Amino acid sequence: MLLEVKDLHTSFFTQAGEVKSVNGVSFELNHGEILGIVGESGSGKSVTMLSILKLLGTTGKIISGSVKFNGRELTNLTKNEVEDIRGKNIAMIFQDPMTSLNPVLTVGYQLKESLKRHKIECDYQKRAVEILERVGIVPAETRMKQYPHEFSGGQRQRIMIAMAMICNPDLLIADEPTTALDVTVQAQILDLMKELRENFNTSIILITHDLGVIAGVADRVLVMYGGHAVEQGTRHEIFYSPAHPYTHGLLRSVPDPENFKERLIPIEGQPPDLLNPPKGCPFAMRCPQAMKICLEKLPAEKILSDTHRASCWLLEKEEALKNV
Amino acid sequence: MSDVQKMLEVKNLRKYFDTSAGTVKSVDDVSFDISKGETLGLVGESGCGKTTAGRTIIRLYEPTEGQIIFNGVDITNMSSRELLPFRKRMQMIFQDPYASLNPRMTVGDIIIEPMIIHKIPKDERKDRMINLLRRVGLNSEHANRYPHEFSGGQRQRVGIARALAVEPEFIICDEPISALDVSIQAQVVNMLEDLQKELGLTYLFIAHDLSMVRHISTRVAVMYLGKIVELAESSELYENPKHPYTRSLLSSIPMPDPIKSDEREIIKLAGEIPSPLNPPTGCNFHTRCQFCKSDCEKLRPLLREISNNHYCACPFA
Repeated sequence: MLLEVKDLHTSFFTQAGEVKSVNGVSFELNHGEILGIVGESGSGKSVTMLSILKLLGTTGKIISGSVKFNGRELTNLTKNEVEDIRGKNIAMIFQDPMTSLNPVLTVGYQLKESLKRHKIECDYQKRAVEILERVGIVPAETRMKQYPHEFSGGQRQRIMIAMAMICNPDLLIADEPTTALDVTVQAQILDLMKELRENFNTSIILITHDLGVIAGVADRVLVMYGGHAVEQGTRHEIFYSPAHPYTHGLLRSVPDPENFKERLIPIEGQPPDLLNPPKGCPFAMRCPQAMKICLEKLPAEKILSDTHRASCWLLEKEEALKNV
Repeated sequence: MSDVQKMLEVKNLRKYFDTSAGTVKSVDDVSFDISKGETLGLVGESGCGKTTAGRTIIRLYEPTEGQIIFNGVDITNMSSRELLPFRKRMQMIFQDPYASLNPRMTVGDIIIEPMIIHKIPKDERKDRMINLLRRVGLNSEHANRYPHEFSGGQRQRVGIARALAVEPEFIICDEPISALDVSIQAQVVNMLEDLQKELGLTYLFIAHDLSMVRHISTRVAVMYLGKIVELAESSELYENPKHPYTRSLLSSIPMPDPIKSDEREIIKLAGEIPSPLNPPTGCNFHTRCQFCKSDCEKLRPLLREISNNHYCACPFA
């Protein structure tokens, strides 16, 4: 097991009050595995990742829970200790390749920066050329002398991936890496990520809101809603036998590939306000099958198979109704 | 008199931008028409000119060359005063629901503003505004609130209400759902479809989400580097694409189905999209086309009808 997140709670303290962004999220990640995380804006998917790397700024704080990486607890590390891990063992790439690179430094300089920070023993120039060629930016030696604005969006995202991979991390976190890119470029970047996994056994967490991206590359899927992990399972379990009404709704709200002209079935309503999170299930307000108990009590996680878990009162209907 | 049915005819439209680096041919000889009550989808990758085409049609940009005929009237060279009555009949919904609403105006005022410009009688405005709010799934209490108090999906509803405020016949939807969450996208698309049915609207739907375009469009046009490369009925285009670019584009659409996703083959495009400052000679797709022949570098292919209502700009299709 490479990564184990247990009952993570993260909040942001704003002028308006405490925003409970992550409310008890647990999941695991194995070596060489690609985990897809889906959820809407504000569901807590990015904040969960930022918590792992302790990139929460001055307003964010991990309230409770544990993050174990290669057996080592990360939540109580000091700033310096986390910095030793960031970029070397865990690397992250972001959604917008236009703003994530420094416009006044050459690509080569930015590539080598993390080798220097982590004092990796190797020929920096050689390693940078090698990794740039790996992601298809050629001729690497010439292109290293260029600045970010001299590259297209797809190329910049490749450079970001090269920067993330240069220290050979065990875990690559990719937060919406293809959202800003066109579909033909997206296909290239996703292929590249699969190749990295094949060749280096890198574990990858891929955050996206595009169910198609998840279906194509993830081994397992975690579905988040309102700061909770509402369902997780293999991609076959999630796509062919979804257990949570939110997952179900999400899959139905995209056009049916068999019948494109059919009227869409949206999930009505709006996501919950995390300043005043609902008492019960976070999805209850929008759930077509909500019962009385759903508005009052948070459902426990129900184990459906070795790999499949979901938190929904419908899954334990009889027992639940007995207790009401 | 087939022309009576046409809401819009675009003939040989060109929009060039002069920059310090040279002329960018954003829209380069584009022709199509849209019938009343239909939805024409316009797809292509960033920089292909689809948004510029939309903005030029509605005369937000001055066309460099060509003709725009709206309801049988040539509006290409009209002055802004002459254009005003036509602007009332064509409206636009924008991509970014955060940037397209004035943060210092209440939602009610935002929806009333076009009514003032188009001189809707004062005593009708408020009732109309409240009806519009209800029509897009908001309510009268929302009129006094400001845009920042709304979610992305709700803001897009406000943008739609504003577009409908002057009872247009034709609406250009420029990526209306790409900034929204998946669960909210379907709400907005259903609403656009209902409004079209009820009010007899005609849409130009610009987007890069190819499966949503297939769902909403009657016909679809595919653009590459300022030109339309293929145009056909929506099901025909998706099931029977002829242009190598369309084929590659469609094969890259992510499929929300693991088994189908593993089975399908993506036709990869070689290299990067060429700079519109210096587009390739001949067929502008030849630098990336796997079927490229020597003539493709020299001869500029024309969009021609290859079967009933299916147009393609590849001589080998």
